[in-house]
Amino acid sequence: MFGTLATWIPSFFLLTLAMKFWMEPKGYRLRSAIWKLVLAAVTLAAIFFSYGSLKGIEPGVSVLVVLMSLKILEAHTAREFQVMVMIAWVLCLCGFFLSQDLVIALCLLAAVVLLLVALVQFHGPAAAGSPGSFWSPVGVTCKLLAQAAPLVVLLFLLFPRINTGFRFEIRDLSSAASGFSDRLSPGSIASLTNSSDIAFRAEFPDRKTRPPGPMYWRGVVMWHCEGMEWRAPYARGSSEPGPAQRGALPVQAPGDKAIRQRITIAPHGAHWMFALDRPFEVPPKAILARGNYLWSVQPIRKVRRYEVVSSPEVTGKDLQPRERKEALEVPASISPAVRELAQSWIAQNSNPRAIVNSALQFFRTQRFRYSLSPGEYKKNDLDQFLFHRRVGFCEHYATSFATLMRLAGIPARVVVGYLGGEYNDLGRFFLVRQADTHAWCEVWFPDSGWTRLDPTSAVAPGRASLDLNSFLARRVASGEIEARRSAFVTQLTQSAIFTNIRLAWEAVNYEWDTRVLGFDADVQESLLASVGISSSGPFLLITETLGIAAALLVIYAGWMQLRTRPRVDRVKALYERFCRKAARFGVRRNPWEGPSDFSRRAAKLLPDESERIQKISNTYIALRYSPKSPALVLNKFAKEVNAFAAHRR
Amino acid sequence: MKQRKFPSVYPTASFGGLLFVLGAMWYAASSQNSAAAYVLLFALTGVSLVSIPHTLINLAGVTIALEAVKPAFAGQEVSLPVEIMNGSRATRHGINVTSSGSSRERKRVDWIPASKAARVTLRLPARQRGEHEIGTLCLTSVYPLGFVRILKKFATSQSYVVYPKPAGDLQLPLSRARSPHRRPPADFGEGDDFAGVRAYVPGGSQRHIDWKAVARGRGLMTKQFAAEAEGSVYLDFSALHFADVEERLSQLALWVIEAERARRPYGLRLPGTEIMPAVGEPHFHQCMRALSRFQ
Repeated sequence: MFGTLATWIPSFFLLTLAMKFWMEPKGYRLRSAIWKLVLAAVTLAAIFFSYGSLKGIEPGVSVLVVLMSLKILEAHTAREFQVMVMIAWVLCLCGFFLSQDLVIALCLLAAVVLLLVALVQFHGPAAAGSPGSFWSPVGVTCKLLAQAAPLVVLLFLLFPRINTGFRFEIRDLSSAASGFSDRLSPGSIASLTNSSDIAFRAEFPDRKTRPPGPMYWRGVVMWHCEGMEWRAPYARGSSEPGPAQRGALPVQAPGDKAIRQRITIAPHGAHWMFALDRPFEVPPKAILARGNYLWSVQPIRKVRRYEVVSSPEVTGKDLQPRERKEALEVPASISPAVRELAQSWIAQNSNPRAIVNSALQFFRTQRFRYSLSPGEYKKNDLDQFLFHRRVGFCEHYATSFATLMRLAGIPARVVVGYLGGEYNDLGRFFLVRQADTHAWCEVWFPDSGWTRLDPTSAVAPGRASLDLNSFLARRVASGEIEARRSAFVTQLTQSAIFTNIRLAWEAVNYEWDTRVLGFDADVQESLLASVGISSSGPFLLITETLGIAAALLVIYAGWMQLRTRPRVDRVKALYERFCRKAARFGVRRNPWEGPSDFSRRAAKLLPDESERIQKISNTYIALRYSPKSPALVLNKFAKEVNAFAAHRR
Repeated sequence: MKQRKFPSVYPTASFGGLLFVLGAMWYAASSQNSAAAYVLLFALTGVSLVSIPHTLINLAGVTIALEAVKPAFAGQEVSLPVEIMNGSRATRHGINVTSSGSSRERKRVDWIPASKAARVTLRLPARQRGEHEIGTLCLTSVYPLGFVRILKKFATSQSYVVYPKPAGDLQLPLSRARSPHRRPPADFGEGDDFAGVRAYVPGGSQRHIDWKAVARGRGLMTKQFAAEAEGSVYLDFSALHFADVEERLSQLALWVIEAERARRPYGLRLPGTEIMPAVGEPHFHQCMRALSRFQ
């Protein structure tokens, strides 16, 4: 519930909050400086013992939470309240460092709004007990937020993203990486089938619908065979493929089947980047590694968006002898029975395609089963798998098939990536989860180059055209495998409403990830360039932003002033005009003089206007003091005042 | 009351805190290059900025009026009844009234609905006798978020009087016309003869409230007692022989109170001033004012 914080920290916070509720009515408060110091020291020591250090994001957040808790016990004055709210804002920021998920973002937004409501309520409480006492500050806060919204957008788009250079490490993402590693061992993909984590999302800017055919997303190519375990050619932990592995294959011209993809990859802390089989146009800050897969120069630690063009027609047209040798290497530990099997296929027909077909035929006819829980295999258990248990998931089929191909003299390699994904009609993107991780093979044919072969489809036909979950659901429905969840949950998750809500939520999530989280300095620069604001230096940009903000604030102030200025009392204004006119002729109304006294005096001093003065004052008194005065009388009154002394000029 | 110049605006102490927090957030966001952190930073910046015009407008159309200030005795408190009028068409929130001068007294009004008024009483300690200027009254507000404060000053020409503190041990001087059979008025001379009731005035002694009348639902009434009229008395400054002027004035003030309570005509003789003997509230206040203004 509280993420990676030690459980006692939030409990401590809730405890102090409860204490405050108990203490406040009794007037108790944490006053003694000694006790404060003791409590702070004890809790800090407890944090140190919980994490073994005070450095890093979790201990840092814990320290903040604990200090906040102590502040709650101590706080009494207005200033302390304000300080607490600001500490809470910083805590919200820390929340973003733990996760930037949309759910978290919405929770934090709610927290920030509630803090604002609390501030407003604190500085100007509404009538207690009245129905508006809660909603009035909420309304004011909403008004503030609504008025701030254009400013926030403006700042977000225009405020320069200066990189301060120094980067403190929030946490080690590589440990929380995807199911991917540079080593494919039996069971490593099957263990991911329950993971609903998002690997990446892809949209196709050039087309309106999903591209036809199975979606093979290429991740990493494994060359090194150890029986049922395969490895990528570079050592584990090295940050980059060595120079020998870089872009060895010449880039070919794409066919007309080229597909442009815009991929938003979830951070995984490693270098893998994904694209449809096979990429040929490399996005910036990435290289095309040997085996035609993308490799990010920097580890991917935050949401990254890139465009890549793939074409199924891209194949390596020639195979270097060194590569050929590497693509045929098999470990010496492979048992004679397996070697014999491969040799028997060569004996049947030495044409590579015929060998491939016999191998696929072998998988199809020898009662192999496709299973999520195939049981444990070791890397030398190839004959266990091929001749005895015959139960496996995609990685078992891919590795064993590729090993068999190498034994039969056909260059082969294993590709790990993703297969399928869920197409979201609302957002028009593919959502690919960790559960869709897949392994397949590529074999070298002299006439067509590297060719994709998916031995899994020989065992589980239909898997290639579906994402894993739909495939499993279909199999459950046909009774081929046992359901992993209860029938009710399955039915619920497959109902139309639920599916639509889920798709809509995923679409919103996608927008958040791409439009907000993916908005960095580069995107900002291209956006500014596209609207004609060339990069004129950050300071000019800041000045411009602040200028626009100031103008906006002035407009708000003026508008609010206009909306709330006092209502003009027309009767009063007219009578004051009459008095001013009279004053011009030397009849000044004294502050203590009532209207009838004044009119009597004025009539005496201005005898030729006496009738009108009398009338004006009588109408005024009537308008002021009679219960109802029709608008007609007011108009007449205005006319009289206008006519008063009009000809005396 | 006259509003002095334009209202002024200045940041509060928590504005500094806000700048610090926003600065820290900016540093964290830029070093992490985290767009979500930027969103939070800009949201808080935007809301804080937008709160400034809200604060500025919060006192627009708000004026104050000061009612008559009742005199008080030195050592007590002066109450300044202040009416805060909201002439605008919006509810105004969180308004503070402050009196300037040596003793800063602050009162807060949580909200005033549109075109309504609220009333607060500022209590100032009356330290010294004499006539004091009220000086400037200020309206301040930090509503809604507390990061800027708007200040509106109102100059007032009104003043209040602080009477000398009644003190002293001397008996009220006996008049020559005094009959020997009368006993001297005991106990701060309210007479023993019931003389009727009048409406209670705030500040009056609670001991004389006619509680029976209250029970009958006639509102708060004060019982009036009158001592039998005796001969008039002259309270003479020069007849007192204390060295300290204030001590003399205190004694005179006490005598004025005693004589007034005893309904006994009294006159006051100060160097340069003489007030003829009389009795009654206006006379009482005239004497007290003379005492408090004495130089």
